Amino acid sequence: MIFLTLLFSTFREAIAKKIFIGFFAIATLIILVFLFLINVDSIEGMVNMMESSGEEGVRQLVIQFEVAMINISYLLVITFCFISVSSFIPSMLEKGNIDLLLSKPVTRAQIILAKFLGGVLLIFLSLLYLIGFVWLILSSKSGFWHVPFLYSILWLTLSFAVIYSLIIFIGLISQSSILSIILSLFLVFIVCPVLYFREETIFSLVSNNVVQFIINFFYYILPKPTDINQITTDIITGNPVKSYMPVFSSVLFMLAALSASIFYFKKKDY
Amino acid sequence: MNVVTTKNLSKEYSAKSFSKEKILALSNFSFEVQSGEIFGLLGPNGAGKTTLIKILLGITFPTSGDIKIFDKDISNQSYKKKVGYLPESHKFPNYLTGEQVLHFFGKLSGLSSNDVKKKSDEYLKLVDMEKWRKTKIKKYSKGMLQRLGLAQAMLNQPELIFLDEPTDGVDPIGRKEIRDILNNLKQQGTTIFLNSHLLSEVELICDRVAILNKGVLIKSGRVDDITATSDNYIFTTTDLDESVINKLLVSFKCTIKSKNEFYFNSDSVEELNKLIDFIRQNNIMIQGIAREKNTLEDMFINLIGSKN
Repeated sequence: MIFLTLLFSTFREAIAKKIFIGFFAIATLIILVFLFLINVDSIEGMVNMMESSGEEGVRQLVIQFEVAMINISYLLVITFCFISVSSFIPSMLEKGNIDLLLSKPVTRAQIILAKFLGGVLLIFLSLLYLIGFVWLILSSKSGFWHVPFLYSILWLTLSFAVIYSLIIFIGLISQSSILSIILSLFLVFIVCPVLYFREETIFSLVSNNVVQFIINFFYYILPKPTDINQITTDIITGNPVKSYMPVFSSVLFMLAALSASIFYFKKKDY
Repeated sequence: MNVVTTKNLSKEYSAKSFSKEKILALSNFSFEVQSGEIFGLLGPNGAGKTTLIKILLGITFPTSGDIKIFDKDISNQSYKKKVGYLPESHKFPNYLTGEQVLHFFGKLSGLSSNDVKKKSDEYLKLVDMEKWRKTKIKKYSKGMLQRLGLAQAMLNQPELIFLDEPTDGVDPIGRKEIRDILNNLKQQGTTIFLNSHLLSEVELICDRVAILNKGVLIKSGRVDDITATSDNYIFTTTDLDESVINKLLVSFKCTIKSKNEFYFNSDSVEELNKLIDFIRQNNIMIQGIAREKNTLEDMFINLIGSKN
């Protein structure tokens, strides 16, 4: 019961900070643009053309739309989420607020887990709304009900959860929203893509084995949202997934970051 | 029965991050708070008062020492269900209304929704915040926030309540109301642990006090005992005649203030009784005998001043 109260308070904070409204505004805008695009003559013509080339043509077109949608969701929604949720921990740690929270019969682990699950649930619902609606529009328009596209809600939520666990850890240590945002965006949009394409980029320039070992080491221990995004795309397009290692190692990273956060929070004086 | 007991409680902080230099916030602090009393903790800024409350509530961890609340070790969180707390400069989420603040913290204290509703109505009325219950707290004044904070601290009907500067920012009428609320709580059997800079207020409501300075307990005891530090007795009588006055001056070394008031200084109870007998033998009616008192503020300034 107490845990649910904490979870609900994360939602309430998000609503109060207009985060939820922001999510739905952006998601609704994307859905409306999508609805508009799918009804414009050129796209209508394209659909007709694909229909004339058979079921496979329609399938290809739908999948292309879905992949585009995943990339939009990944870039826009996830970025927006990072910026929004990064203030949860620093605002909770403000003097006068944290004292009161810790004076109640709640464990520190419960507080961290409620903040984590609250944020993850928030993103899950937002993605469910955005991707669910796009799926409905696309499927009803094309007649091709492509269920694997819906799995992307879970994959994108997982990507978010992995990075959010790091945001929580940075927020606890630094008590700064800005630092959490900068570091997480730097990790997701610079470090992770560079590590994902390390063979094509860094290794083509550096042949030293030690350097390559260090780069590989960082690749394996850090979260892999770029890889998870690629796995999501492979699942939607029907391409075989090369390896689920990035998922397992990212989940391990998430568990390690959460454990470290709980450990640090349990020891810290406020 | 002791509600709070600490033994040799110490707390050290690092002066700076990664620094070996330590600041001693509390040093071998041992004390008890008894059931049903109002206990006041006094001390200048930085004396360690808030640190002590935070340690008792598990917000900060002690470096060494033992703590028992309700006769149990505080490592078990369950005691917090029977505890209320109003922190100094508390900060409620400002997007909530007064009612929602009570609902949130009431639920966190383990109350059911029905109980929270019932108790919110009761305590908002008690702290005179009923008409502001639906207003967002970002519109509240400091005094209103303090009243709401007090309602929050009382909501779970705690057996022990910690109040850190509860009258901070409250006007004199509001302070009187808060004092009345605390006295009512005491009558209901609640133990109150009070941190306050307002010594006159502490003197008015506390049964016992402890004075802390630089983390060290320098005095503790009943307010009456702490303030009654002299052996000077003030006698009020019917009019004294010349012969009695002379005898009082010569034999008893009294200081005559007026025809019906004089001071007698002695640490001997026998001498005091001899004086009373002498007065009564001379057919003078004693209207009052009072031991001269320092105010808590005098005592505090003397103690802290001499330690600095």
